Amino acid sequence: MKTIVAVKNATKNYALGKVTVPALRGVDLEVAEGEFLSIAGPSGSGKTTLLNLIGCVDTPTSGIVEVAGKDTRKLSERQLTDLRLNTIGFIFQSFNLVQVLSVFQNVELPLLLQKKLNGAQRAERVEALLKRVGLSEHIRHRPSELSGGQRQRVAIARALVTRPQLVLADEPTANLDSVTGQNILDLMKELNQTEKTTFIFSTHDARVMAHASSVVRLADGKFVDRLSSAEAIAAGVNRKAPAAGVS
Amino acid sequence: MEGRFATFGIIAKIAFRNLFASRLKTAIVGGIILGGALLVVVVGSFVDSVVAGMRRSIVGSVAGDIQVYSSQSKDPLEVMGGFSLEAPDLASLDDFARVKQVLETVPNVKSVVPMGINGAIVPSGNTIDVALAHLRDLVRRKLSGKTTPDDVAAYEAEKGHVHQILSVLQGDIKNARQLQDEKALSPEDAAAVNKAISPAFWADFDKNPLDSLEFLENRIAPQAIDADMLFLRYVGTDPAAFARAFDRMKVVDGTTIPEGKRGFLFSKFVYEDQVKLKTARRLDKIRTARNERGEKIATDTELKRFVRENSNQVREIMLQLDAPKTALFRDKLQKKLGSSEADVAKLLSSFFQTDDLNFDDRYDFFYKELAPSLELYRIRIGDTLTIKAFTRSGYVQSVNVPVYGTFDFTGLEKSPQAGALNLMDMVSFRDLYGFLTAERAKEIGELKKAMNAREISRDNAEAELFGTKELAQPEPAPAAPLTLPLATGPAKRGHDNGHQKKGAAAAVPPAPVPAPGRNIVAEATPGLNPPQGEGVGAKLAREELVKRVYDPAQLESGAVLNAAVILKDESKIPQTIAAINAAGKQAGLPLKAITWQEASGFIGQMVVAFQAVLLVLVLIIFLVALVIISNALVMATLQRVQEIGTLRAVGAQRRFILAMLVLEGLVVAAVFGGAGVVLGALIVKVVGKIGIPAPNDVSYFFFSGPRLHLVLGTGNLVAALFIVFVVSGLSSLYPAWLAMRVNPRTAMQAEEG
Repeated sequence: MKTIVAVKNATKNYALGKVTVPALRGVDLEVAEGEFLSIAGPSGSGKTTLLNLIGCVDTPTSGIVEVAGKDTRKLSERQLTDLRLNTIGFIFQSFNLVQVLSVFQNVELPLLLQKKLNGAQRAERVEALLKRVGLSEHIRHRPSELSGGQRQRVAIARALVTRPQLVLADEPTANLDSVTGQNILDLMKELNQTEKTTFIFSTHDARVMAHASSVVRLADGKFVDRLSSAEAIAAGVNRKAPAAGVS
Repeated sequence: MEGRFATFGIIAKIAFRNLFASRLKTAIVGGIILGGALLVVVVGSFVDSVVAGMRRSIVGSVAGDIQVYSSQSKDPLEVMGGFSLEAPDLASLDDFARVKQVLETVPNVKSVVPMGINGAIVPSGNTIDVALAHLRDLVRRKLSGKTTPDDVAAYEAEKGHVHQILSVLQGDIKNARQLQDEKALSPEDAAAVNKAISPAFWADFDKNPLDSLEFLENRIAPQAIDADMLFLRYVGTDPAAFARAFDRMKVVDGTTIPEGKRGFLFSKFVYEDQVKLKTARRLDKIRTARNERGEKIATDTELKRFVRENSNQVREIMLQLDAPKTALFRDKLQKKLGSSEADVAKLLSSFFQTDDLNFDDRYDFFYKELAPSLELYRIRIGDTLTIKAFTRSGYVQSVNVPVYGTFDFTGLEKSPQAGALNLMDMVSFRDLYGFLTAERAKEIGELKKAMNAREISRDNAEAELFGTKELAQPEPAPAAPLTLPLATGPAKRGHDNGHQKKGAAAAVPPAPVPAPGRNIVAEATPGLNPPQGEGVGAKLAREELVKRVYDPAQLESGAVLNAAVILKDESKIPQTIAAINAAGKQAGLPLKAITWQEASGFIGQMVVAFQAVLLVLVLIIFLVALVIISNALVMATLQRVQEIGTLRAVGAQRRFILAMLVLEGLVVAAVFGGAGVVLGALIVKVVGKIGIPAPNDVSYFFFSGPRLHLVLGTGNLVAALFIVFVVSGLSSLYPAWLAMRVNPRTAMQAEEG
């Protein structure tokens, strides 16, 4: 299986005033195409930082992050933006839709930024995708007229509309009730299987991990272990990650 | 291409929708922009209209589009007068005909008007002098035995009048005693008044009128100076050419100065403001303020002051009243006021104690019942003015000119600025200024011949002058002493011209005369006060100078100080100035051409000041607007950090963000700036149609009429839009920079888990 993401001994320090806070302390990770990978860990474990590095919205302080075969440290700001646009889709915890645009326009936005398709092609793709996520009825609505689950579906459609190789989801169900969260995960899983899109999502919800092909556990900015979903649930990662027993 | 268009579409959509999404920001920013654009259009149009009004006033009342004067002058030309009363030191343009000829070779020149501006002290009627002169005239007739019954009545009335003046004087002395140290008053003066008012003096008067008159003239008249000296600024010109060039000029009273005649036209404003009986002038002012500006005596401090002054200062009227008039006034005022008071001064004082209720009634009563018995104007149309001016060399020169009438400029009737200059024929002006006119040169030539004048050497000058020839002795000067102070010289009224002539013709030997035609500026005061005698000069001097006719060609051929140039195309002033200067150089004439604005001096500079103030105002307003708008946009940007971060995360480049924010700014600028401009234009149109009424007399000049009609200039519309776009562009720079720096990571940072 081809590797889509390779993280080698990546560290990330944030300057917090005069203090340097290490968010990642040397993480190694390889993600193969088609995976449905969950990154788990408690607050402050470095989940989001790792996702930021993989999502090319940030670069490592040291170490290497390769996305689709490209070393992100060697790319310019513009090239990183292009890489995000063409290779990665994002799903955010709080959906992050553009409030002033309609559902259709929100989904169409990345295609417009890509400038690859004409209007008819865009419309066709956006409408197909919205049908797929079950929002054909709401195509003209504004985000504020939708429920939380519906909004996250719009976000998923937006993330997938460019047919990216990789979709990153940061706690995609954290702001949703459990039933809706379940539906969203089902949808993501389904898309993962039909479109062969790689999904990496962070979560500390055991039910979410249950869907994952494997679970990478982080603690204190360090890689802990990589488990199958069943192992992860058994290990109770939804609770506090074991401080001891990690070697 | 299609993609770009769609991208622009989405940017525009986001930008436009955001205007509605953050309404507070849009309201603040839009409100400021709308207000700013509106302000620029309205205030800009106002200032433009005022500037245009001032231009019309200045150009149309004296300056013309361009003024030309000698480049050898020490001071700059100021036709509207500067801060000081002193006339600027200007070199003359010796041959106006030549100047005119050269100026008319410049294609854009429509007409050229010769000018010279100077100021003069004019003694205006002193009541006691006039009364005594009149009395002397009547005495003379009585003595000659050729009296009519009318003369007898007039004689008695005039005696009563003099007695009335004496009573006023005695009152003055009494008042002065209360105010001042007794020693400050001359006891001789007080004694003289007491003597003159005594019944014994008047009992003796009929027996020995000439001696009594002399006593009054020498001892009393100097104490009874009631008239102000008038300081008149006048422009000497060719009256006909002036009227043609400045077509807003119109004659109000009397007639224009006939061609070839010496003469003086009062500016109507000066005539009303300085020559009219002060009480009447104040009544007029109160009436205007009440009727045209809706002011009230009760609330307006200036009007209160006018009422107070009218009530306190009845002396000027009292001095005019002889016995029959005093009786008439007493009778009328007692009836009007329902009073039994016998003192006319007190009756007048209480009559002028007006308020808002009785003002109109008293105003009408004054003009219908009292004014016909009064001299409302100290100088009447038809009177002859003795104008005394300092020549360039510092001598006092004096010229008699008849007053033909008054004039003003349409729309500028009430403007003190436009009405500051009186008008005089150029020939009289040259006399007063010390130019040697052709007429005068000829006269001097004849004088020299008649008097056997010859060149004398300095060494034996004394012997030549005093050893051989007796100087003609003057007649004892009657009413008008020739020496200073100037104030004692009475105005020469039409009715006492004959009498006055003797005064004016008193003896001063002719001053040394420069060779005619060589030096245009006389060193002394040639021909002033020619001697008595039987020679040609004396004969000329006895002729009424005022009746002398000059050849109209003289207007053109002599010297002038400056010339007003009216243009065919007034928008080409700078080019025409260059052309005039070049033409002058080519012709060897020291011509200097300046714009109406420069020529108008201080007032013209106000145009620049207005524009500068506007510019500063606009700058300040927009600096403040810039800060406020920038702040509002920064706040709005900070609220949108997540949205911007999301856009960046999903693949929007920085320039997309920049374009989005700039477009937002532009949409606000276009929508609100446009609305402001349209609204401003509408206001200007409406206000322009109605016109802004001039709030006071001074504004007539700036408004060039009683109302300022705003004119909408495209320049202001363009400027408003330009400024709005620049300001919105500048004020979105910082927020745009902030937005571009938003890290896409911020999209992820919502409630970090």
